[in-house]
Amino acid sequence: MGEMTPERFEELAEAYGGETARWPQAEREAAAALMAGRPGFAQAVLARADALDEVLDAWRPAPASAALLERVLAEAPRRRTTGLAAWIWRGAVGAGLAGACAAGLLMGVSLSTASGGGHTTDTLSAAMGAYDGDTTAPLNTSAIGAAA
Amino acid sequence: MAASDPDESLVRRVASGDPAAVRALAARKLPRLMSLAHRMLGEAAEAEDVVQETMIRAWRQAPSWTPGAARFDTWLHRVALNLCYDRLRRRREVALEGAPEQTDDGPAPDRGLEAADVGRRVSAALQALPDRQREAVTLCHYQDLTNIEAAAVMGVSVEALESLLSRGRRALRAALSDMMEP
Repeated sequence: MGEMTPERFEELAEAYGGETARWPQAEREAAAALMAGRPGFAQAVLARADALDEVLDAWRPAPASAALLERVLAEAPRRRTTGLAAWIWRGAVGAGLAGACAAGLLMGVSLSTASGGGHTTDTLSAAMGAYDGDTTAPLNTSAIGAAA
Repeated sequence: MAASDPDESLVRRVASGDPAAVRALAARKLPRLMSLAHRMLGEAAEAEDVVQETMIRAWRQAPSWTPGAARFDTWLHRVALNLCYDRLRRRREVALEGAPEQTDDGPAPDRGLEAADVGRRVSAALQALPDRQREAVTLCHYQDLTNIEAAAVMGVSVEALESLLSRGRRALRAALSDMMEP
């Protein structure tokens, strides 16, 4: 690396600013040598560039909102359960659903028996509500997968 | 190059659906992408749309991401910038169709400058730059990319990048000279 000219030093400050750590790696050594040899000149050039850097840094853009983070996370990949874990999970969900349906039916039968069937529809809706709740996550995941 | 990509292991874990990795990558990249998009577009709401779309593409890309010549962060910057350019193009088309031009509502130079005023002035000066100059200044000054990384993101030579930076900073200096210490 040859000696850096004062003109080149000014060009670099004009392009990359007053912080020499931001200057091209390949030219930093020569720039440091010039700074050591002509400190007055170098300081004046860097101060001028620093003044612009400071004004530019005064503008801070809006931070990412919590709502944006939520939207981004909602679209993120989900862990897929595979093999034995998936089989156990499916089995557990299936058993839970079967239990919920059976409980709902029994409840419906007992209520209809007790009150002449007036609450049967409400009880089935409640059972379906539990079912819907169980299936929401997989449905959303597959929708995201399809969109992807 | 691949070994030095600080995002590589995180991206791999994201691909496997690791929720902690997903949150970590989002926390790492959202502020950075917001900074980029807001500075390119000048509007926070539009910037958020760009960031969201960029991250959705990142999630899709994660399973097939193969570390190669470009870092993940560099790829992310390229995606976000392309989305910014789509929006800037649309704005120009709308402007050509007769929409009123935006006016600079910055304060007069002799008025006391509040922090918000300074921000508005700098934002307006950046928005007034030609797109490529604004992109160069944003990548090198605000996003702290090296000259080689920024040139790669922009698809130009290092010399061309330096020229864009010089012209951009000269224009900014002229526009903001009253705010600088003598």
